[in-house]
Amino acid sequence: MFNKLRIGKKGENIIFGTFVLLYIGWCVNSPDMNIESLKSVLTIGLSVGIIYGLVALGISLIYTGLDVVNFSHGEFFMIGAFAGLTMFNLLGNQDWIFNIFPDAYGWIIYVVCLFTAFVSMGLFGVFIERVFLRPLTKKGGGYTVAGMGIIICGFGLSVVLINVAYLIWNPVAKPFPAELGLPMEIGGLFLPITYIWMIVVGLSVAAGLWFFLNKTKMGLGIRAVAYSKDVSNLVGINVPLYISIIFGIACAIAGIGGTLVGPTYQVVVFMGYIILMKAFAAAVVGGFGNLPGAIVGGFTVGIFETASSFYISGSHKDLYAFLLMIVVLMIKPTGFFGVQVKMKA
Amino acid sequence: MLKINQLISGYGSVQILNGANMKVEKQSIVALLGGNGTGKSTILRAASGLIRSWKGTIEFDGEQIQNLPAHEIVGRGLVQVTQGKDVFPAMSVTENLKLGGFILKSKQQLLDNLEKVYNYFPRLNERKDQLAATLSGGELQMLCIGRGLMSNPKMIMLDEPSAALAPQIVLDIFKNINRIRQDGLTVLVVEQNVRMALLLADYGYVIKDGVINVEGDSKKLMYDESVKESYLGGTKANV
Repeated sequence: MFNKLRIGKKGENIIFGTFVLLYIGWCVNSPDMNIESLKSVLTIGLSVGIIYGLVALGISLIYTGLDVVNFSHGEFFMIGAFAGLTMFNLLGNQDWIFNIFPDAYGWIIYVVCLFTAFVSMGLFGVFIERVFLRPLTKKGGGYTVAGMGIIICGFGLSVVLINVAYLIWNPVAKPFPAELGLPMEIGGLFLPITYIWMIVVGLSVAAGLWFFLNKTKMGLGIRAVAYSKDVSNLVGINVPLYISIIFGIACAIAGIGGTLVGPTYQVVVFMGYIILMKAFAAAVVGGFGNLPGAIVGGFTVGIFETASSFYISGSHKDLYAFLLMIVVLMIKPTGFFGVQVKMKA
Repeated sequence: MLKINQLISGYGSVQILNGANMKVEKQSIVALLGGNGTGKSTILRAASGLIRSWKGTIEFDGEQIQNLPAHEIVGRGLVQVTQGKDVFPAMSVTENLKLGGFILKSKQQLLDNLEKVYNYFPRLNERKDQLAATLSGGELQMLCIGRGLMSNPKMIMLDEPSAALAPQIVLDIFKNINRIRQDGLTVLVVEQNVRMALLLADYGYVIKDGVINVEGDSKKLMYDESVKESYLGGTKANV
């Protein structure tokens, strides 16, 4: 009976489209529906979505490159936020920066913070991979799905990293008072500038990653390693080094995501967990292992979540991402872009 | 050029090679023959560093290379072209070839080599912007060999270049292997297609149960009774 439910691609799309239409209909019927609320739903959804997208990008990158799901990725996001915040506190009361750039003071400090988070989390990711994950690959399984040890290690690492962060920064939520300027008016809507920053920086990072992967020699090597470690070895790519690079880049992107979220919400030790879960949902929705899919999935989860909490019920905000994931897995298990290039027989 | 001495190796705890000896002279074509599961591919995988050598030595160009990381062996000029037409399906033909020249430092060298490979295999030039996934079996094999040539190797090891190909294409590929040798490379070719391989090669080795069973001049080997028996099962069906 269930075999009959396995329908072709076209059928999947029709059923999924029906669901989308039903959902839109539900939202339109809501008493809160008007053009103003729609505008804010879209901007908030997009800005939250790009954060989910960035973390999902890292999860997908590690999944394609190392063939394991990194369950400690949320903690890299959290520590990245703390790295940015630490840099911000260091620079925050330096008068000489203010004297040199009186106008763009806040922006320059913030960009330095983003850069710090990127670099420090990149190095930290390489360190974690080399010290904690690499020895596990020697005991069998390697970087394959069979390498269950690495997945379990990811859970353990998550707990350890949270507790280390707890020791260093204590569990009090900290504000990240970046001075980025006054709210901006876009289409009659006053938006905190941090939302715009999130979308702009997030999309630039995604575009930068695309350029890096597709136009540079190192990116070519990364794509090769992601497809096959053996063949990459045979063309002379230093595979262990490239695996470290992949892990480092994924963590660096998560770090940027953390610093981007900081000024809008707050920086707290436990912020990584829920982001990991939602980014996971975003990666599944976009097609697991597909990089543009991760960003699109992030936007979809972000908008769906914001719209649902606006129009349906705000008290179950964290539920919607997983609801969407379940619906996508039921109807379109490959996600939006989860198409693999098959070899011609 | 390549000298394998008492090589013992295998996968996990399963020992496949039980002390294989072989030697490949410079600018020659050597055929390594044997049935399924006799350790032909294992020798190549050990030589190119994909698996560890447990015992014995592998000497390339006068230096011992056993248990070096695979990418360093490629850097020294020993390249393996794998069985099963392992290309990167989601990349274009040109990108696949450029990956072959990954260890090259200069861009000009890369372009020169690309030109050289297109010269060997004009079919690849016609399809250079296509995804590798859309190529036919023969074109895939050409792409694999071309990718192996991209890094300026001194010696190239081919793992069953004729597997699952039409006779006409096999002939074409073997002609090109001969051309590669004439341009100064050393070739080690692992084959199941005995007749073709021995026609092409100067010298042949027959491997059985992880040791070299018979060796000799390829013309002699072709009429050797023990080869026919141990390898062709006593019939001439494959000849």
